[in-house]
Amino acid sequence: MSISTDLVTSTPYRERAAWLALVAMGLPFSAYFGWTIADPPAAPMPDWTTFSRFGAALAAQIAIWSIGTWWLRKRHPEDAAAPLDERDRAISRRSIQTGYGILFAATCINIGCVFPFTAGGWKLINSGLASIVVAEVVRSAMVIWLYRRGFHG
Amino acid sequence: MGDRRLVNQVRTLRFLQGEMTQAELGARVGVTRQTIAAIESGKYAPTLETALRIAEAFGKRVEEVFYWESAS
Repeated sequence: MSISTDLVTSTPYRERAAWLALVAMGLPFSAYFGWTIADPPAAPMPDWTTFSRFGAALAAQIAIWSIGTWWLRKRHPEDAAAPLDERDRAISRRSIQTGYGILFAATCINIGCVFPFTAGGWKLINSGLASIVVAEVVRSAMVIWLYRRGFHG
Repeated sequence: MGDRRLVNQVRTLRFLQGEMTQAELGARVGVTRQTIAAIESGKYAPTLETALRIAEAFGKRVEEVFYWESAS
């Protein structure tokens, strides 16, 4: 008796959505922080150059995520409409735990090292923003990793 | 515990059920077809409730579908 294998290797919809979230958050804000490091805000708040860069990064994130979500839903309507199952929920829980840990640690570092004595204006904003971006990127990467490597809840 | 791994007969039992698809089995037990694929390939160990539902779908006892196998 021979059993042909049909182990479906198609990428789960939630993993595709996590790739999209990773790219949508990672690309624009990598560019934003690259700009910020190369050319730190010179003027005190409001510095319209930095503000416009931030606005552009945010607009790019929303555009990438919206168009990507629309395209994913169009290509995989049944998977998009399916409710989360137990594996999806387990992976979501674990990745949120990890992302929260990163956010918590980064916030503690910000409060201890950046906020109290040395910084103001854009430095405060950017350190907080970096914490959020890193936490979200790690969360999305964790989702992808757990779907690909396997996860037993 | 460390030298054993959880294996299952889901793929074989689907074949014996007239090539039941992963999507059909998933719909019967309440998970996605990708989760059935992950269970078959050992990437995901289902909850007890889902394991019982899978066994029920094949008319088997859960230990006939999921069991430990020596890793060596």
